[in-house]
Amino acid sequence: MSARRTLRQVLTVARRDFTATVLTPIFLLFLFAPVIMGSLGAVGGLGAASATDGSRGQARVVAIVPDELARSFAEADLRLRAAFRRDEAPPALATIRTGRDPAAQARAAFSATDYDAAAVLYGPLDAPVVLRGPLDRASARYVALLAREVLADRRLGTDRPSVTVREELFTRRGASAGGQGQSAFLAVFGVFFLTLFLAGQVVGTMAEERNNKVIEVLAAAVPLEAVFLGKLLGMFGVAVLFVAFWGVVLGQLSAFLPPPVAAGLGTLVPAVGSPAFAALFFAYFTAAYLLLGSVFLGVGAQASTMREIQMLSLPITIVQVGMFALSTAAASRPGSGLALAAELFPLSSPFAMAGRAANRPELWPHLLALAWQAGWVAIFIGIGARAFRRGVLQSGSPGGWFRRKKPA
Amino acid sequence: MEKELAVEAQGLMKRFGERRVVDGVDLAVPRGAIYGVLGPNGAGKTTTLRMLLGIIEPDGGERRLLGAAHPRDAGDRVGYLPEERGLYPAMKAREAIAFMGSLRGLSWNEGRARAGAMLEAAGLGHAADQKIRRLSKGMAQLVQLLGSVVHRPDLLVLDEPFSGLDPVNQEKLEALIVAERDRGATILFSTHVMAHAERLCDRLAIIAGGRRRFEGTVDDARGTLPSRVRYVPRENAGVAPLLPPDAEPDGPGWRFALPPDGVEPVLERVLAAGHGIAGLTIERPSLHEAFVRVVGEAAVRSEPSA
Repeated sequence: MSARRTLRQVLTVARRDFTATVLTPIFLLFLFAPVIMGSLGAVGGLGAASATDGSRGQARVVAIVPDELARSFAEADLRLRAAFRRDEAPPALATIRTGRDPAAQARAAFSATDYDAAAVLYGPLDAPVVLRGPLDRASARYVALLAREVLADRRLGTDRPSVTVREELFTRRGASAGGQGQSAFLAVFGVFFLTLFLAGQVVGTMAEERNNKVIEVLAAAVPLEAVFLGKLLGMFGVAVLFVAFWGVVLGQLSAFLPPPVAAGLGTLVPAVGSPAFAALFFAYFTAAYLLLGSVFLGVGAQASTMREIQMLSLPITIVQVGMFALSTAAASRPGSGLALAAELFPLSSPFAMAGRAANRPELWPHLLALAWQAGWVAIFIGIGARAFRRGVLQSGSPGGWFRRKKPA
Repeated sequence: MEKELAVEAQGLMKRFGERRVVDGVDLAVPRGAIYGVLGPNGAGKTTTLRMLLGIIEPDGGERRLLGAAHPRDAGDRVGYLPEERGLYPAMKAREAIAFMGSLRGLSWNEGRARAGAMLEAAGLGHAADQKIRRLSKGMAQLVQLLGSVVHRPDLLVLDEPFSGLDPVNQEKLEALIVAERDRGATILFSTHVMAHAERLCDRLAIIAGGRRRFEGTVDDARGTLPSRVRYVPRENAGVAPLLPPDAEPDGPGWRFALPPDGVEPVLERVLAAGHGIAGLTIERPSLHEAFVRVVGEAAVRSEPSA
């Protein structure tokens, strides 16, 4: 049987599956699922952010100080606060005039109804006491820092040295270690996210042929391996369409990113360089999809009802998350034994190698890895087709691969 | 094995669990013939056809399809209509036919073009762009049959092709089978309905209990049973002793197996005794009777002895 003939049959099956999936109204729902997911996420995020802001807006670091120090505290707060990003800044400062019993005032501050005290400072500036909530250690340190600043101002006065700073923007030429690490994590996460979203669809595709008996027609005309590969490629086509659509959309939206975010993304320079990394990312997404898809297809083909197929979704997700966890750990320890294991284990190899592309500059291991992964796709398809032939079509002898020898 | 055979099988064997569903079946289907595989339900017909087509692998024996050692190597020259009909419900009739053709090596466009013409010829032109789920069962079955011949195969394998069809569509199917044979194709089909086999088959095999019990022409099958003589005398009283020992009353006359030396000696005796002849017919056994006898004997043979 010629390879050309087999390829033609593979493409025939793939085209049928692709069109049967894409040319349905349900596909639009699938295509725009991220919008729905994003909208729900945004609504939830806004709610959570609103609650957080509300809570942050009420929080205060409190300094119980004499009137003459209140202004100094405010000025010190203004200077130090400039070093924080808005979302990382400590709670706003409130000052209370020192009374007869500052310790009692400090305790009472935690019962105030118009603000939530995170940390309260009282006592002499060189040996203050700070009361704080269990989660407000940073706030306590901040208000203590304010006290030090004020004390330094008072003791040094005009002798306090001033520093004139000149800021210059510098763009790093190579990849930073941190940037590579982040790129590696994002690569692993990106491949994982896409396959989690897309590869699980493959699991139920053989059910259609089983339920409407088309499998008999296919099995008579086409090797089962070609049927499996065709279905896998058909669904991969759907996945590529999905990724291409959202790739274009997100590419357009990236023009509207705030400059700091865009600049932050600019620091994510993978070790192999951006163009090669983009190509490798797609290659490993393909490999991950085909590897996991071939396993899911083979397992799903044994299921005879939708209920059985639905039951498979949990173990499928667990397998994917497991591979993600292994690969993430590997990406954080480039060159380690764990990384090598993740790169070699077939199901985690695409994830781990995507991480490696961010961490290490050599390209030749990727060629080996892709060949290795392609080989495993062939093996998984072969195993799936063979199991289907024996289990569903009832071909082969009883006992099959695991035929046990009867005692003489 | 002979070159002019379209299908050859020797000692085909298949076990499901501990049960031998097909137990050493031999088949030799001449090219250009319409060949029937007959047998009762559960005889092993479908399993035999599935092994011949390579859908399942035999546990023993050899097979060749159109001279190819493995059925898949002749795949583009074979058409197959399975017993359990299967089409994608969301596909249009024209596309379903083109799809089946493209699995067998026909280009998509050529398949679509041929599908349109074939649907027109079969009286289904109006349904060409209807989805399969909108067609009646008979129409869908016809669409699948057209799909199995759209690539003009040299061998057409049909598993119980007439089941589920109304008489009109059965007649259409018979015409299509004959047309395919006239085109030069070999047709191998299974059935347990004798009337179709009797009308269509050049040769046939009867399978029962997983084994081939008979192989030959329809006439050969009929020949396994003697013809029956139905004799009605003018004067019935006292005629019985003049008739063969197996003669049984049958209405106003008698029925008995055609004796090996013919009916003439019997007639001479009854005429000489003055019983006369009011009616005389010699009935050849039907394929149905031959089938029942072959299958019945097989059933008796396969029964466990006490």
